Formats: sequence, structure tokens, C-alpha cells
Amino acid sequence: MYGKKACELVKELSSSEPGQLAAFNSNLFAQVIEECNFHFLQLQSLLSKVQGEGMENQTARNADHFGALIHHLSLVRDKRCLMAYVYNRAEVIRSFGWTIEPPLPEEIQEKLSSSEKEYSKNHSATIKSYRSEVDLDLAVDMVPPKDPYIKVRVLDDIGTVALSDQIANLARHAILFLRRTDAETYISQGLMEELTG
Amino acid sequence: MAQYYDIDDILAEDELVPAVFQEAANGVGLFDSSDDANKVEQGSKVELPFWLARELHLRQAAAINVPPCYNKKTRDEIEADAAHVDLRNRCPHFYELGHKIAPLVGDRTIGSFLLFAFQTRYKEVLIKAHTAAMAVAAKFLTLLTKEETKLYEAAQSSMAAFKKWRMGGPRFQKAAVLGRKRKPID
Repeated sequence: MYGKKACELVKELSSSEPGQLAAFNSNLFAQVIEECNFHFLQLQSLLSKVQGEGMENQTARNADHFGALIHHLSLVRDKRCLMAYVYNRAEVIRSFGWTIEPPLPEEIQEKLSSSEKEYSKNHSATIKSYRSEVDLDLAVDMVPPKDPYIKVRVLDDIGTVALSDQIANLARHAILFLRRTDAETYISQGLMEELTG
Repeated sequence: MAQYYDIDDILAEDELVPAVFQEAANGVGLFDSSDDANKVEQGSKVELPFWLARELHLRQAAAINVPPCYNKKTRDEIEADAAHVDLRNRCPHFYELGHKIAPLVGDRTIGSFLLFAFQTRYKEVLIKAHTAAMAVAAKFLTLLTKEETKLYEAAQSSMAAFKKWRMGGPRFQKAAVLGRKRKPID
């Protein structure tokens, strides 16, 4: 049946977890494109046959006309499936650009096709340049913190540091209130831990 | 028209519907692989995917018949106990396909039938989503169409969010200044 393979491609998308990527199915993708070529050749031969029979037959709806129509519709359908496959994957890749820092981890990289890799690289570059243009870190948590200050314990001797609002002596095991923005960098480096409750 | 890239819309249009060719068509051989005439005769009955059947129907090249999942038997079952009819087995895109096919076949009862089926099943889906434990739900889930499964998941996640809101965490973040109690005056 026409359009079956293209539909399988789309089914693959719908069965995968939302926000996750499966490996790019280049094998099936190529098969669908091959099917498109087949439809196109058939369409061409039928159309030239219709034209060869003269103008009066062109308007009369003969069997060739409908054969050509079916091939045309199959082409359009295959195109839609292919486009949807690429488009929906691209959407996931775009969301990666916001959540994952630019060099994508290896296990994601190997699931992308070469053009998708290119796309993801360019997209994160665009985000980066936009970020520097508006001068804002757009990747931070969307949920606002409840308090600008958090309680932290210092895990290592850091010494006296000038923070944005105070000069603090960050000695080992000191427990202090710091601005969240100051503490975040230390926490991510493993020099502090947040105390909750 | 639904969104061009919508996956569910594409899959819904892939459902097979019975159709009869009103005209012959040359150069198409795949519908009936038994003969190699590479041609579809006038009057041949085939099962076409909906995307093809619709266009052929609009050009009067083929006539769509109502698919078996909207027949009398299913209707009787739905009327008897809508919530326990296995719609996924019959047609995973029951509502979407019905919605698309109703204006084409000119059957005015399909619309109200779909609405009735959806309303009664909707109630059941919500109740199950809010109360049933996962073990019980697994069996129930196999009866649902694609759209109902989405509804079910949405209902479950909203219920989980509601519980989280009610049990834990402050409901209302007061500004820290306002929360401070006045010191008793000695």
C-alpha cells in the first residue's frame, strides 16, 4: 500500500517519549524518498501519456488521469510524513539548546543525523549570541527562588571573599546566609552545600 | 485544517476506510497484488487509507463507505455500556476519524453518536484517573483511544499536582516581612 513506509516513520515518532530522541532512522527515511522517486516517475509517465492523447482528453477524466492523481496524492502524503518527521525532531533538538550546555553529550550526538548535528550547533550558537546581546542568562531556572538568600555550609577553606553584598570569611564548616546568586557558583563547584529545613 | 506537522493528525488519516472506485485508474498496482494488470477497475472495492480516500471521494473517483467502527453493532455496544467498549482495538483514532469522515459520507448520526460516546466515556476516564490504582488501571487503559489516553494522563497529572498542593508545601508565600509576629508588649 502506498504511503505505508512514510507512516511507519511517523509512528516511530509518536511511540517515543515526549522530549526524547530516538536514533535517526536513515534507512527508512531513504526508503521513503525512494518511494517518492518511484511515484514521481509514474506520475511523469502518466502525465506525458495524458498530454500525448491531446487536449480534448485532458479535461475528460480518464483512467490515466486518476492514476496520476493517486500518485500525486501519495507524493504529497509522503512529503507530509517526511516533513513531520524532520520538523518534530528539530523541535526536540531546539529544546536541547535551552536545557543542555552547548556540546551535546555523546549519547545524544550519535542519535542525530549529520544535518541535525549542524542544526543543533548553529541553534545553540544563535542562542548564545542572543544571550550576549540582551545581556541576560536566559537558561536559569524559570521558577523564581523563594528567598534571595540561602543558608549554606562551606565545605572547604576558601578564604575571605568579596561577595556582591558583603565581604565574607568563607572558612571551612562555616554556616552562613549568602545571596543565592553568589552561592550558586560555589555550589556547582562543590565548595558549598545548601542547607534546607 | 489541523496543523500540518501534527503527528496524531497524520496517523489518524492513515486509518483504513472501505471505498469503492467509481472510475478506473491506470498505473496503480499495489491495491490488489493478485493480478498484475497494474490497473484498478471501476467498481472494485478496496480499503484505502483515509488521506487517499478523501481526495478521491472529493473528486468523485471513489465513494467512501462508513468504516465498520461506526456501524450498528458498535453503536449498540456503546449505548449499552460505553465505558467498556474496546475502542482502541476498533480504531485508535476513533473520534478524529469520525470527525473527518462525517461530512464526507453525509451520515448525520455520526456526529451525535461520537458526542454521546465521548461524554459517557469521558466521565469514566476521569473517575478512573482520579481513583484507580495503577495496577487496576492498566487493563482499563487498553480500551482507550489515543485521545482518551492523553486525557487520562492529563487527569492523573493534575490530580498528582492537586495532592502535592494540598499535602505539602506552603500554599501561599507570604512576604517574609508580613509573616513576622508582633512582639508581645510587656
